[in-house]
Amino acid sequence: MILVYIETAEGKAKNVGLEMINAAKALTDKVAAVVVGAADEAVKQAASYGADEVITVNYEGYNTDAYCYIFKALVEKYSPEAVFVGGTLDGKDFAPRLAAKLGAGCVTDVVGTKKEDGKVVYTCPVYGGTVLNDMVVESPVAVAIIRSGAFKKADPLDAAANVVAEEISVPAEELKTKIAETVKEISETVNLEEAEVIVSGGRGMGAAENFALLNELADLLGGVVGATRAPIESGWISRAHQIGQSGKIVAPKLYIACGISGATQHVSGMIGSDYIVAINKDEDAPIFDIANVGIVGNVLDVIPLMIEEIKKAKA
Amino acid sequence: MEILVCVKQVPDDSVEITLDKSTGMPALDKVAVITNAFDGYALEMATRFKEAHGGNITVVSVGPEKARDTLRNCCSVGANAAYLVNDAACENSDTYGTAYALSKAVAKIEAEKGVKFDIIFCGKETTDYTSSQVGPMLAEIMDIPQVTNIIALDPAEGGLSVKQETEEGYNMVDVATPCVVTVTKPSYDPRYPTMKSKMAARKVQIPDITAADMGADASLMGEAGAKCKVVKVFEPAKKEAGVKIKEETVEETVAKAVAMMSDAKVF
Repeated sequence: MILVYIETAEGKAKNVGLEMINAAKALTDKVAAVVVGAADEAVKQAASYGADEVITVNYEGYNTDAYCYIFKALVEKYSPEAVFVGGTLDGKDFAPRLAAKLGAGCVTDVVGTKKEDGKVVYTCPVYGGTVLNDMVVESPVAVAIIRSGAFKKADPLDAAANVVAEEISVPAEELKTKIAETVKEISETVNLEEAEVIVSGGRGMGAAENFALLNELADLLGGVVGATRAPIESGWISRAHQIGQSGKIVAPKLYIACGISGATQHVSGMIGSDYIVAINKDEDAPIFDIANVGIVGNVLDVIPLMIEEIKKAKA
Repeated sequence: MEILVCVKQVPDDSVEITLDKSTGMPALDKVAVITNAFDGYALEMATRFKEAHGGNITVVSVGPEKARDTLRNCCSVGANAAYLVNDAACENSDTYGTAYALSKAVAKIEAEKGVKFDIIFCGKETTDYTSSQVGPMLAEIMDIPQVTNIIALDPAEGGLSVKQETEEGYNMVDVATPCVVTVTKPSYDPRYPTMKSKMAARKVQIPDITAADMGADASLMGEAGAKCKVVKVFEPAKKEAGVKIKEETVEETVAKAVAMMSDAKVF
């Protein structure tokens, strides 16, 4: 059995949880999805995306120590061979601590799994993704933190959930921290991980106002706007848009890199894209080494023309 | 407050690391080593905290002899003292082994200095293995609270008020000391050393700590103690470069590129 933690946002499952169900199915006889807190929609999603069982736990909100307590209790009760947790901020916060509590080996940033000689082999990128390590975990239970977008979801089925409600009360003295206030600074939501088209801007965009061109191109293609670290640090666009090692890892069908040189930090976050178009005035920019189509030219000249050409082609 | 900052020496993350064809292992010989970027932010945050509220900063690293240079650099940008956990028994530890070694080093340094650390800073992850595990594991082994992914902190009644970066903004988290915090990139960059601070750092004694010194169980560390084992090291399949287009005019260039995109049915 593998326990798969289904993280939720406003009652719905985040994609990574549903992706992990599919990854786990190939490795074990039984996949039990774990939904913490009231989230009926997520319970339904977990069942239709392939979980054999959905375990619900009556705990609201997120707290590191509470989650460690809950998952330790579940591991002790169900003795799974592994616990899969998505590589979100919360996942990366509690999963390593849980592993230490369980005396379990922990792997992070898993982008591939397979079974060899009865053991699960986890593929994890190192050095910014230029090298991959295959890892095995030699403890009775493994804690695996899975990269969002690395696995495909199953096709949803009209399946009813076999739901097991677990009543776990977390003792107050377990809680070592308290969130006093949650502040929302970024109102826009950018779903980079699920976008089929991403139009991304780098330092070469030159100024905040030039990102309007990227918005226009993205709208035309039904996509969203991404960015490298430089424009975010310059305040041209919010960090919700960041793609790369310290931002989101994406794998859209089409990725248009505008004024992006192609530093490893960024490339490791988008190399999984199916089709890459790069626009850069520097003919030797490393981004051209990974682009299906490279356009040598100034982004401010190229993008407006590209918008016109695509409109013509679509017409 | 007494502050400990855990640092790791890593290969320069601006250099693309590939495998050495003869050994099949990452070719690191010619790559410069630097302080892990997030550990640098952690040290800068700790130094600003010390400057605002008083205290002492000790840095510690689990690493080989050459990691002493990294510790010395830390002493030129804010740290008052440094220790190197330098023992072959720690080599090739997994994250748990490293966290365990750090926990034993904390106890050893505390006993030696006659202090208790109030705040233990770590970077949120290292740029080489990016596991983001050591901070939370250290907190668990020490049985103290953790706050990950922080961008600021201030003293507060009973401990600290910590600003934790989230997807949509931030949380203000109340935490008692002692605690472990892991640091992500704040709004500032680490300071540079001055001539004077470099000279002073040269004079700092950096004692070695061995596994025996800190009473560590060697079976929990090193390759033999690792619960996670690397069974294969390889490079991802290379993405082949496609075509680079540069016609006489930008109009021609774009027309050709869009025609190719259209043929590939990407829009």
